Amino acid sequence: MRYISRRLIHAILLLLAVSFFSFALLQLAPGDFFDAMRLNPEISQHTVESIRSEYGLDQPLPIRYGRWLRSMLKGNLGFSLASNSPVAPLLRVRARNTLLLSGTATLLAWLLALPIGVWSAAKRGGWGDRIGKVATSTILAVPDLLLFLGLLLLAVRTGWFPTGGMVSPGIDGLDFWSQAKDVAFHLVLPAFGLAVVMLPVLVLHVRSAMIEALESPFIRAARGHGIPRARLLFRYALPAASNPLISLLGFSVATMLSTSMLAEVVLSWPGLGPLLVESIFSRDVYVVVAVVMLSSVFLVMGNLLADLLLFASDPRIRTETE
Amino acid sequence: MNSRRKLWGALILLAAFHGLILFAGFFAPYGFAVQDRDMSFAPPTRLHFTDAQGKFHLRPFVYGLKDDPANPGAYAADTTHMYPLRFFVQGSPYKVAGLFESHLHFFGVASDGRLFLMGTDGYGRDQLSRFLYGGQISLLAGLLAAALSVALGILVGSLAGFYGGWIDELLMRGSEIFLALPWLYLLFAVRAALPLHIAEWQVFLLLVAVMGVIGWARPARLIRGVVLSAKERKFVVAARGFGASDAHLLFKHVLPQTYGVVLTQIALLIPQYVLAEVTLSFLGLGVGEPMASWGTLLSSLQQYYILSSYWWMFLPALLLIPLFLAYYTTADALQERLKSVSL
Amino acid sequence: MARVRSRKATLALGVAIICSWCVAPGASAEWQADSEQLTVTDNPVGHSGGRLVLALRSEPKTLNPVLAQDAASQEVIRCVTADLIEINRKTQKTESALAKSWTVSRDGKQYTLHLRRGIRFSDGQPLTAGDVVFSFHLYLDEKIDSPQRDLLIVGGKPIAVEKIDSDTVRFTLAQPYAAADRLFDGFAILPRHLLEGAYRSGDFLRAWNMSMPPSQFAGLGPFRLKEYVPGERLVLERNPYYWKQDRNGNRLPYLNEIVFLFVSSEDAQAIRFQAGDTDILDRFSAENFAVLAKQQAARHYHLDDLGPGLEYNFLFFNLNDLGPKASPDVARKQAWFQDVRFRQAVSAAIDREAIVRLVYNGRATPLWTQVTPGNKLWIDPGIPHPPRSLAHARDLLKAAGFSWKSDGTLVDSKGSPVEFSILTSSSNAQRVKIATLIQDDLSHLGMNVHVVSLEFHAMVDRLLNIHDYEAAIMGLVSGDADPTAEMNVWMSNGDTHLWHPNEGKSATPWEAEIDRLMQQQLVTLAYAKRKRLYDRVQEIIAENLPVICLVSPNILVGASDRVGNFQPAILDPYTLWNIDELYVR
Repeated sequence: MRYISRRLIHAILLLLAVSFFSFALLQLAPGDFFDAMRLNPEISQHTVESIRSEYGLDQPLPIRYGRWLRSMLKGNLGFSLASNSPVAPLLRVRARNTLLLSGTATLLAWLLALPIGVWSAAKRGGWGDRIGKVATSTILAVPDLLLFLGLLLLAVRTGWFPTGGMVSPGIDGLDFWSQAKDVAFHLVLPAFGLAVVMLPVLVLHVRSAMIEALESPFIRAARGHGIPRARLLFRYALPAASNPLISLLGFSVATMLSTSMLAEVVLSWPGLGPLLVESIFSRDVYVVVAVVMLSSVFLVMGNLLADLLLFASDPRIRTETE
Repeated sequence: MNSRRKLWGALILLAAFHGLILFAGFFAPYGFAVQDRDMSFAPPTRLHFTDAQGKFHLRPFVYGLKDDPANPGAYAADTTHMYPLRFFVQGSPYKVAGLFESHLHFFGVASDGRLFLMGTDGYGRDQLSRFLYGGQISLLAGLLAAALSVALGILVGSLAGFYGGWIDELLMRGSEIFLALPWLYLLFAVRAALPLHIAEWQVFLLLVAVMGVIGWARPARLIRGVVLSAKERKFVVAARGFGASDAHLLFKHVLPQTYGVVLTQIALLIPQYVLAEVTLSFLGLGVGEPMASWGTLLSSLQQYYILSSYWWMFLPALLLIPLFLAYYTTADALQERLKSVSL
Repeated sequence: MARVRSRKATLALGVAIICSWCVAPGASAEWQADSEQLTVTDNPVGHSGGRLVLALRSEPKTLNPVLAQDAASQEVIRCVTADLIEINRKTQKTESALAKSWTVSRDGKQYTLHLRRGIRFSDGQPLTAGDVVFSFHLYLDEKIDSPQRDLLIVGGKPIAVEKIDSDTVRFTLAQPYAAADRLFDGFAILPRHLLEGAYRSGDFLRAWNMSMPPSQFAGLGPFRLKEYVPGERLVLERNPYYWKQDRNGNRLPYLNEIVFLFVSSEDAQAIRFQAGDTDILDRFSAENFAVLAKQQAARHYHLDDLGPGLEYNFLFFNLNDLGPKASPDVARKQAWFQDVRFRQAVSAAIDREAIVRLVYNGRATPLWTQVTPGNKLWIDPGIPHPPRSLAHARDLLKAAGFSWKSDGTLVDSKGSPVEFSILTSSSNAQRVKIATLIQDDLSHLGMNVHVVSLEFHAMVDRLLNIHDYEAAIMGLVSGDADPTAEMNVWMSNGDTHLWHPNEGKSATPWEAEIDRLMQQQLVTLAYAKRKRLYDRVQEIIAENLPVICLVSPNILVGASDRVGNFQPAILDPYTLWNIDELYVR
């Protein structure tokens, strides 16, 4: 319990520091949201200035940060100038979309990585393993951007897949299952691309963890006892290899909001990625800070989750800390 | 010894690539800024061995290019003009190592012929030449940023790991904050604050340096891990027992143990920072016109009409794959050697 | 157009028809009593029903016309509201809308508008002069800070609005204003019964934001709000009370529904249009034109190149009084920029044809004046269009005291090499390309030019705040074809007098002359006289080149073959201005 409360306090301090530094960073870049309005010959500077002060953009940094902090504590995440609405509902929708995408991709990647990694560790040195390593290295070497652009080109040229967005027009009025199928159809390309991007690192780690586990004495003993291959791999070796894998899982959760950013931007998936990029470019400061904070929350949660899981699953750690 | 062969293979490939790029002036048939406004978006020129009459030539040649009357905007081969490929030709001037001027190019065709092995961009600039010159900028960016990140990572990581305690706590918490912040804003701010008369490539390198400095967090964590275990090694403890000072321990005993990790990190970070440079170019923070970098070459793919009509603009991205493969193989081989050698 | 020509006769006929309807009992199920409606002639009669799917570049931020400033909001608002007088985008002239007629006092300062009788809002409530007066009070209210307020300030004083009777409103200006009738286009008339409460309780800034239920909106446009799903779509449905009908007596609009999808980039919009997800593609780039044109027949859509619009791209130099923050370099170079022969030489050396060809694939028009050929009413055909001439440029530079070193570098009279930077926004790919071409062009004169592409906000900061730049490339699109829309650009004390904003007193005699001419055309009511004044302004600008005009991109639009009555124009909104007449085949 004390351990958890200590970590929580750390987390809160971290979030506070992140929010303050983000605010400070945002003020460094020149310009604010209303720059485009200043270039419009039909609006006078006087009007632009009064609109700016209406939104409090002419106040100095500490005052704005204080105000933001106070409203944050009340649960109000600020106001988005670009959407003319509070930030929270905007964020909720986008975060849900991102989690849908990255959650699916992560699941897919892990579901593929485990058997592939285990199998290549078992067949280590054989030609299957070699092919696997070459394929993994090649995928690793392909820039993510190229992969997503290639998928976009595929969709455009063949028309087999939707070229962007999350839903088709005219989706309202359909029942839940049709809507779910439509979303799933749009999800195919981005989730597949993202899973392929995540796969090599996972496979390598699963493989190396399994190799280490397979070389440990108790596995050798089990093999000597004649335990069949499949059972050996999945019921004995894999759990023993789980320590680094759990850390990796924690890392997956921690980066769940940020890994999909490139995929979202290239394939027009309406998630946090495009929102962050647009907000940075239009200087919609409160949205940027809110998204950064949300990502930090996930980061902290992911690390905490990994540590807790390790604690629960690995008796060695439990005995060490007691 | 498989890892040794792998390592040497990868290093040779890297050396070849880097050599080509270092001497871009010599290997590139044209300068990077030479515009041929009549040859906008020309596809890669094909090398022929047999001409229209069916005669075989030992020396390959290219045909001239003319506008295709049937297909506006496209080009057709002009079979009346043949330009043989020659080696060690005289061409546009360039500076070797910024010092002395030379006109010698590895290969080329006569000056009224056109040799666009990777096609041209919207201004009629040869993409192969721009790829080679662009490599100078991009690889320099990658090396610079990777070196800075690792250098700072060594500094922070060794201090944190060696001294432990509150220094460790502070530095590791700091690294968490660093990983979370939106650094793009800082890059915008830096770019905007610079005076206008600074050359574009200098601005760019400054931005790259900022990126490298910001990226100390992950290498620092890894090095901290190594230092933590290294300082418990028996011979280090023994040296301390002999009264060695902290600095002596650090520099002579602990840090050398990090070399493997450091080298691996550098090999992994360089491709990462090259890709970061591509992202910067996508966001408008790339090196300015008319200079080329891999990022500026690829950022044109953001536009739909290029993506769908001019397939040769993908080639620079495809050429990156073997380069990155070489870097990752190097890192991989180094890691394997580390494991077999150490501890 | 026939519409304007036979308006009086058609109106009389319309009144007669309406009166006969009033007499005939048991008229059709749609209410029609006491209404005067505009008859639309000339266009093919379409059939009712159907739905169009359109794309918006971003989500609308508000449906409140008083507060809306972004393009997406304004596009939707235009479909659900109407103005007193509207500008026909095809003829570029004004025509009656909610006001069936108006008179101007002899001194030109009073406009008396007569509303059509019997018009109702989309919720069935009647329109009266009280709504008109209330609406304009909102636009003029200083506490609300409407971005449109400045348009209503003529001669330094806001327009005065008063209700004469239930159908008549009088507007009084402080001085005669040439484009006064054009002013009314864009000022939507709002329902007092729905908004007065919010206004009185001080809550107007939140009124009609995107989270309000559709029942709280009411407008006079062809459509009304049906549904808004954030992040996905906005749906409009037919307004049964719309006050226009076609020449067969069918009440407009034809369409039952309009769906707006949010597709954030131009390329994504082109992809969706090509795939058949959307029915109209509004303004896309020349490069995408070539790609889309190949599939026109196969995918059943057609593309239109409408020629130049009102946008003009230009190069200009920093002619500011430099503040303390600007670097000493800029001060030294200003000596060159301020010499008109230097600017003329630069203009002579620029290859405008290459810009049209390479940046816009030929779908643009070279410019030598800020008025584009698309602006038929105001272009001065007498402005010279000199072909590119490096020789002429060199002569001008020689006359200005420049010379060339042996390696070709241009140096000024003091011997320093001519070197400067051109600033442009990195997010606009075309302007970056234009800058690169100009950089190459000027290198033939021996000038060493750098292209500095900054992020948009950083660029605005340098241009308008600290004035720390040397040259820049920008583009402007006039809100209207009329010159008064650009007063702030050409007047010396204008905020957007880009090369030297907010000059107290004109820095040069020609700028003073432009000020005088612009002020005069503002108060001159006769078009012929105004044209002569504005022609002179164009000539002065072409001689002194405070801005070197480069190109105007053509307006490119596309529509699916199933869209009927598609009549795109070169004024914004290019494709939807006649949305009440569009139908599905």
